[in-house]
Amino acid sequence: MTELQLSKDEERIFDGEAGEGPKIAIRLLNSLGELGGAERLIPVKSAHISGVSYKNVGEGGIQFLRKISHRVNVPTSLNPLGFDIDNGGPVDIDDTFRKKQMEIVEIYREMGVMDSFTCTPYYYYNEPSFGDHISWAESSAIIYVNSLIGARTNRESGPSALAAAIIGKTPDHGLHRKDGRRASVVVNAEGPLDYTKFAALGLFLGPKLNRNIPIIKGQKGAKGIELKALSAALSATSSIPMFHVEGVTRESDLVEDSPEVMEVGIKEIEETIGKSSSQQEPELIAIGCPHLSSEELDYIAGLVKGKKKVGPDLFLFTSREVKAKSAGAVKTIENFGGKVFSDTCMVVSPLSNNYKSTGTNSGKASFYLPLKGYGNQKVAFMGIMDLLRWVIA
Amino acid sequence: MGDSLIKGRGLSPGTATSEVVVCNQLISPLGEISREGLVTSGPCENVNITGKILAFLGGRGSTVGSYTFLELKSRNIGPAGLINESAEQMVVTGAIISDIPMVDRIPLDILSNGDVVYLNGSSGEISIKGVEEKKVATVYLMHGGKVLLLTRSESASSYPGQVSGISGFIEKGESPEQTGRREMEEECGIRDSVTKRIGREIYVRDKNIIYEITPILMESKSDEVKLNDENSGYIWIDPSKMHNYETVPKFKETFVSLVSS
Repeated sequence: MTELQLSKDEERIFDGEAGEGPKIAIRLLNSLGELGGAERLIPVKSAHISGVSYKNVGEGGIQFLRKISHRVNVPTSLNPLGFDIDNGGPVDIDDTFRKKQMEIVEIYREMGVMDSFTCTPYYYYNEPSFGDHISWAESSAIIYVNSLIGARTNRESGPSALAAAIIGKTPDHGLHRKDGRRASVVVNAEGPLDYTKFAALGLFLGPKLNRNIPIIKGQKGAKGIELKALSAALSATSSIPMFHVEGVTRESDLVEDSPEVMEVGIKEIEETIGKSSSQQEPELIAIGCPHLSSEELDYIAGLVKGKKKVGPDLFLFTSREVKAKSAGAVKTIENFGGKVFSDTCMVVSPLSNNYKSTGTNSGKASFYLPLKGYGNQKVAFMGIMDLLRWVIA
Repeated sequence: MGDSLIKGRGLSPGTATSEVVVCNQLISPLGEISREGLVTSGPCENVNITGKILAFLGGRGSTVGSYTFLELKSRNIGPAGLINESAEQMVVTGAIISDIPMVDRIPLDILSNGDVVYLNGSSGEISIKGVEEKKVATVYLMHGGKVLLLTRSESASSYPGQVSGISGFIEKGESPEQTGRREMEEECGIRDSVTKRIGREIYVRDKNIIYEITPILMESKSDEVKLNDENSGYIWIDPSKMHNYETVPKFKETFVSLVSS
């Protein structure tokens, strides 16, 4: 193990002179840095923290947050929680859940963390630039900002990103260094892929690649939102922190010598979708995992405008800021009979309180929602047009 | 000989002794481990990890997964310890903040469900109760781009009739390289060779024995081989043809990592 060299100031924090929170924080960063082979801590420009929903954090998590609680040192955004704070929903919440959830929110507020409550903080709240060193949690956001923006973060956990936010620094290893960002596998992906097919590509590749950074070839026309779908599905089923797409992402020249080569055909993509899909009409159509952008809200508004709604409930998920900026599209969707929620999502809210089956175009949600004791849903995973045929008369 | 002692990497301090649950899968602690301490998918679906040492390939998925261990621990239904083949930092963070000892760089195929394992998260060592460890050196001897394969005699104590390199037990006071040279002379009558590389130990489980094998790459000046009775045949082959032979466990992949490292 490498010896991580702390500065004099950092050592004082390590010894507890800045209080209990910073002491816990820097000790965690020190341990993780030594494992990763870092020789020092480096300043970060921002942090993003996961571990907000009471469904995920639990009582043990609340105790930990109280212990580590301290004012954050850099701009820090926050992941979604179990319900929409101002508007209620998406499902019924019992009093204990509500109380515990707001307790968690208050602890974060006292630390000076933004009220962003989104897994896509890179829209408006916390937008990193190329080359920025940051410390982010939320698997789908980490892989998105590394790959599409070129900011630099390791795959931080909720607690380690919080520790970095408090100290304002992170261990210098892995993705913070050019050598940690090289692709070791070339993936030749066949054919044009849409949002859901990119998500399926992520589900297919995740377990196969495990932690190896891929460079995807044959997809020069890939759009940002499609790669957001890939990001979320790939990182749910692996521990991959980054990918490159030839002709699209900015660091796609970073490839190791003699990488492995994999071929992925349309057949594999369709089989992946088929495996998690059901033709039975679900009780709920849920879209927005990761949270929707303004562009996506506009697109969906265009599809349902002036139409009559039938069948299952239609829930869309986004952040407060995107919802406010896309007020027109939101109104159209609400007039149609759909609901647009902020602060929360289909994965971190206790959906099974009200629903047994969910249709979604999200690869990530199709991974988490069926798990027993977690999502407890029967899931229909399919493209947005197939989902909407159930709700448009 | 006492219980086996396998060297991994210490990730979260503390010690634990318990039965091991071996899950040959990646696990997202969020979702794939329930609030009741059950694994919810993959080969270990419905297996309870409470009080057990949980061994799995590594973590995946949500970065909130660290909190799963904290939550289980706070309700006294957490695992006693964690073992990974290759750890990533979400699970390690969970282990550290939950005071659960953890070790990685342990190949899962040396563990069997129900083994009683002692784990030391500081030193990185584990030992398995009732499983004896034997230290072995194996020489991959090269000459002119070819590698020497030996067919083990039918009376060999382990893997009779299978194809291997030059191997033997490391005797007290011997280094693996000294063992390799001694065996080379005994089994093949070869003295004149140069050591090219000594690889990292690999572990092979055979019932109640774990072989800790140190692989050694050597180059011989001559291709002349004089067998003793430990082996029934030999052949010099192009390494790319190795897949045509029924070799002892992990023989081929060890060769690949030895020549490519």
